[in-house]
Amino acid sequence: MAYLAVPLASLAQPASCALVLSGRVIDEHDGEALSCAEVFIPVLGKGGVASDQGLYRIEGLCPGTYLVQVSHLGCESLMRELKLTASTTVDFKLEHHAEELRELEVIQKRPDEQVGQPVKSVDRADMERASGTGIAELLARVPGVTVLATGPSIGKPVIHGLSGNRVLILNQGIRQEDQQWGSEHAPSLDPLSADRISVVKGAASVQYGSDAIGGAVIVEPVELPRLAGMSGELRGLGQWNGRGGGGSGLLEGGVKGITGLGWRVQGSGRYLGDSEAARYTLSNTGQREWSGSASVGYRDHRRGFSLLYSRFERELGILRAAHIGSTTDLQRAIESGEPWYTAPFSYAIDAPRQTVTHHLLRVQGSIALSDRNRLDVNYGYQANDRQEYDIRRAGRSAIPALDLWLATHTAEAVLKHWIGKHVHGKAGVMALTQENTNIPGTGVRPLIPDFRKESIGAFIIEHAPIGERLELEAGARVEGTLIDIRRFDSEGELQTPEHRFTNSAFALGASYQLSDSARLRLGLASAYRPPHVSELYSEGLHHSAAAIEEGDASLGSERSVKATLDAEAVLFGGRLRIDATLHASRIDGFIYLRPAGTRLTIRGAFPVFRYTATDALMGGADASAALRLSKRFAWRMRGSTVLARDQHQDEWLFLMPADRLENGLLFRTASGGKWRAFEAGAAHQAVFEQRRIPVGLDFAPPPSTYHLFALSASASRTLGKGELRIGLQANNLFNTAYRDYLDRFRYFTDARGTDIVLSVRYAFGRFAEQSLHRAG
Amino acid sequence: MNLNFHNNQSRLTMTINSKLLTLSLLAVFALSACKKDKEEDDHDHGHGHDHNEEELITTVRASFTHSVTNDVVEFSWVDTDGDGGNAPVITGGDLQAGSTYAVSLLLLNESVSPADTVSNEVADEAAEHQFFFSTTGGSLTWGSYADADPNGLPLGLATVWSTAAAGSGNLTIILRHEPNKGAAGVSAGDITNAGGATDIEVAIPYTVL
Repeated sequence: MAYLAVPLASLAQPASCALVLSGRVIDEHDGEALSCAEVFIPVLGKGGVASDQGLYRIEGLCPGTYLVQVSHLGCESLMRELKLTASTTVDFKLEHHAEELRELEVIQKRPDEQVGQPVKSVDRADMERASGTGIAELLARVPGVTVLATGPSIGKPVIHGLSGNRVLILNQGIRQEDQQWGSEHAPSLDPLSADRISVVKGAASVQYGSDAIGGAVIVEPVELPRLAGMSGELRGLGQWNGRGGGGSGLLEGGVKGITGLGWRVQGSGRYLGDSEAARYTLSNTGQREWSGSASVGYRDHRRGFSLLYSRFERELGILRAAHIGSTTDLQRAIESGEPWYTAPFSYAIDAPRQTVTHHLLRVQGSIALSDRNRLDVNYGYQANDRQEYDIRRAGRSAIPALDLWLATHTAEAVLKHWIGKHVHGKAGVMALTQENTNIPGTGVRPLIPDFRKESIGAFIIEHAPIGERLELEAGARVEGTLIDIRRFDSEGELQTPEHRFTNSAFALGASYQLSDSARLRLGLASAYRPPHVSELYSEGLHHSAAAIEEGDASLGSERSVKATLDAEAVLFGGRLRIDATLHASRIDGFIYLRPAGTRLTIRGAFPVFRYTATDALMGGADASAALRLSKRFAWRMRGSTVLARDQHQDEWLFLMPADRLENGLLFRTASGGKWRAFEAGAAHQAVFEQRRIPVGLDFAPPPSTYHLFALSASASRTLGKGELRIGLQANNLFNTAYRDYLDRFRYFTDARGTDIVLSVRYAFGRFAEQSLHRAG
Repeated sequence: MNLNFHNNQSRLTMTINSKLLTLSLLAVFALSACKKDKEEDDHDHGHGHDHNEEELITTVRASFTHSVTNDVVEFSWVDTDGDGGNAPVITGGDLQAGSTYAVSLLLLNESVSPADTVSNEVADEAAEHQFFFSTTGGSLTWGSYADADPNGLPLGLATVWSTAAAGSGNLTIILRHEPNKGAAGVSAGDITNAGGATDIEVAIPYTVL
C-alpha cells in the first residue's frame, strides 16, 4: 500500500546521489529496539524497515533537506526534518505503548475506511493549486465529480451525476445541514478549514445515514496539536477575474507541561467583484465570505475531548440578467445569446442576492473502554440562517423574499470494538432533530413550509481481514424519520400533515491486494433518502427557472443500490499510476421534476413541473492516470462518463454531467537556487456536448463541446523560520466563451473568462514541515 | 510511578472536560437565544406567517374612454387567488370602429382586504417600470404613451389607442420591471431591446363593432 502513497513528486530527483542515512529506532521509554519500524522519506518514496536490532538504512540519497517519517505499530508516528550534507547516522525514539495497543491502533488509523468503496481525496497541496475556488470546483479535480453551478458564484458538488440532497457532506464529523434542496444553495463551509477533503463515490448510507445516495464528501478536520510549540499558516490570494482576493490565517499550539492539550484559531475572508465572461461583465456576481473557527481539545491514547465552534458567512450577488419574470423573458434570453443587462465592473452586490450564515458547534469525546474497545461520542449543533433578496417593487428589495432559519442537533455514539483478529468494527446510534422556520415578514408565500424533522438510527459495520491480502466488510443500518409540517394552504388554513419514513441500508465490501502495487476494491451498498419537504410541498413559481414547481405529498423514500469496482495500480516500476472506477446503480423512487402541462398566470403561461418518482438506472466510469515521462516531466490524464436512464419513461435523465477528459503535462524539479519544489504545468480540459438528454424537458439544447486551457507554476523557499510558497495560475487561458450543461445560468450567459490567480502562503511549525513533506 | 502519573493526568482532564462542557452548554444557549429573539420579534408584528403574498398582482383593469362620446369600456384580467387555484376570469369588451380611445390601467391585489392598488406603487417607481402593448387580429392599434416618468421617458399607465374597421382579436398588456428604457426603440414602445423582468403579461379579447 505504501507504494500507492508515493507522490508523483518523487518522480523528479536529481542524479549523482550516494548519501546513506542509517541508525536505530528505539522505544523512548525502555530504550528497546523497535524491530519492523518503518523509516520513510515521503518526498522520495524511499524507506527502510528496521531489523530485529532496530537498525535501518536508506541508501542513494542526494544532499538536501528531507522530512523523514518514522512509524511503528502501536506508536505515534514521528516526523523529523533532516538536513543531509554527508552520510549520517540518526537514531529515532518513538513513544511506544503497550503491546496490546497494536490492534487498537490498526482500527484507529482508519476510523472511516470504506473497504469496498472508492474514496478519493483532495489534500492541502491540491487545495492550494485550486485556490480561489469554492469547495465544489475544488472537488471537481477528483474524476467522477463535477459541478452543478448557478452562475459564477454558486457551485455544488455532483458525484456520479447526483448532487444536492443526494450528496452528504460531513463537515468536521457532523453531517452538514444547510438547505441543500435548492440548486442555488452552495455548501456553507470554507474548504481551507480542512486538511483534506475526501469523496466517497458509492452509496454510503450505512456509514453516514440518509442522503448519501450519490456518495459523501468528507471534510476532514485538522487534528489538534498535542505538543507545545506554535504552528501557523498565512495565505493570501489575488484574483484577476473579479478583481479581488482573499486571505486566511491559522494559528495553533499546545500547552507546555500538558502533553495532549492543544488549541487552534483560524479565520479567512474573500472579497470579489463582478466576474467577467469572455465578452462581457457578469453584472452583480460579486461575493464576500468570512469565516472563522476556534477549537480546543485534549487527547492521549486513552481518552480525548474536543470543542469546536465555527462560523461561516457569505453574501453573494446573482447575475442580474438571470432575473426574469416569465417564459417570454426566458425565451428572449435564450434567443439573444447574451445577457440583456450588463453594466461596467462593480464590487456592489444588489438584489437579487443571498446572505447565509452557518454556525457549527461540535463537542467530541472519546474514551478507551478497554485496550481494544473505544467509545466515541459526538454532538453537533448547527444553525443555518439564509436570506434571499429579489428585485421587488416599492422598496421591498431590501426585505428578504426568503428568510429561513434551520437549526439542527445531531448526536452520535459509536463503539469501535474488537471481537477478534478477524472481526472488528464499529456500531453506533445516532439521533437528529431539526427545525426549519420561515422568519415572517417577507411578504411572500414561503417556498418551503416550516417543519420539524426527527430521525433516529442504528448501524453496525464489521471488518474481516482474511489473510494478508483480502479484507471483507459488511454493514447494516436502520433509520426512522418523522417529519411534521406546518403550512398554510391557498385559503390560508393551517395544515399540519405528518410523514413517517423507515429505511434500511446494507453494505458489502471487499478489498484485495493483488500485489504490492495493485489493489482492487469491490463494493455493493445501498442508500436511502426520505423525500425533502421541498419535494413534498413546493408550490409556486420558481422565478429564475420560469416554471411552476409542485410538490407531491405522497412521495416515498428514494432507495438505491450501487455496485462499484475500483482498481489502483502502480506499474512499470512506478512509472505509471492508474486508478479507475466502474459503477452501476439503480435508484427506486428517484424524484425529479417532470412537465405537467401549463398554467395561465398574470405573467403569462408557465410550464408546470411536478415532483415525480421514477426508477433510475445509472452507470459510468471514471479514471485517472499519471505517467512519468522523464525525471522531470510527467503526464496525467483524467476522465469520466455517466449514463442515466429514466426507467418509467424509457428516456435519459435530465441534467446529467457531460463526458469530460483532461490532460496535463507537469514539470517538477526539486531545487533551483534558493527556490525548491518548483512545479509548472499545462492542462487541457475538454467537456463534450451532452447528447443523452430527455426529449422536451429543457428550454434550450445543451451547449456544444468546449475546450479550456490552463497554466500554472509554483515554487517554495525558506524564509526565516518558515516556508514561503508562491503560485501563479491562469485558467481559461484563451478567454474562451463557453457554456456548461450543468450551469443553470447557461440560458442567460457564458461562463467565466480568463482568470489569473496569484497565491502566497507562509507556513511555520508543523505546517511548514507538512508542505516540505509533500512539495518535493 | 507510572500509574500515579496517569491518575494525575486523568484528574486534570476531568477538570478540563467539565469546564469545556459548561462552556459548550453556554454556547448552545447563546445560539438558541439568537433564534428566540427573532421569533418574539415576529409576534410583535402580529401575523405570524406570510400566507398572503404582498406583492401579488391579481387584477389588471384597462378602461377605454371614447375621445368623443366619453363612453367607457372596461377590460379586465382577474385571478383573485393568484397562481394556481381557480383559473383567471378574463373579460373582453366591444369598441367602436374608427375611433380614438384614451386608455388608463389599474393594477390591484385583491387577495387582501382592502385591495392594494398596485398601480400606485408602479407610478411611484415610474422610472423602473414600463408597459408595452401589442394586438393580434382586428383593427385595434396602440398609438402612443400619454404619461412619463421623472426622466421624461414613457410609463404607460395612460396611453392612446385607435380603431379602424370592424373585427376582433386579442390585445396584450406587458409590464416590465427595471427595463432598459434607454435602449433602441424602447421609449417608442418597442419591447425588443427592453430587457427587465416581466411582472405582467396578459391577453384579453376585444371586438370592434
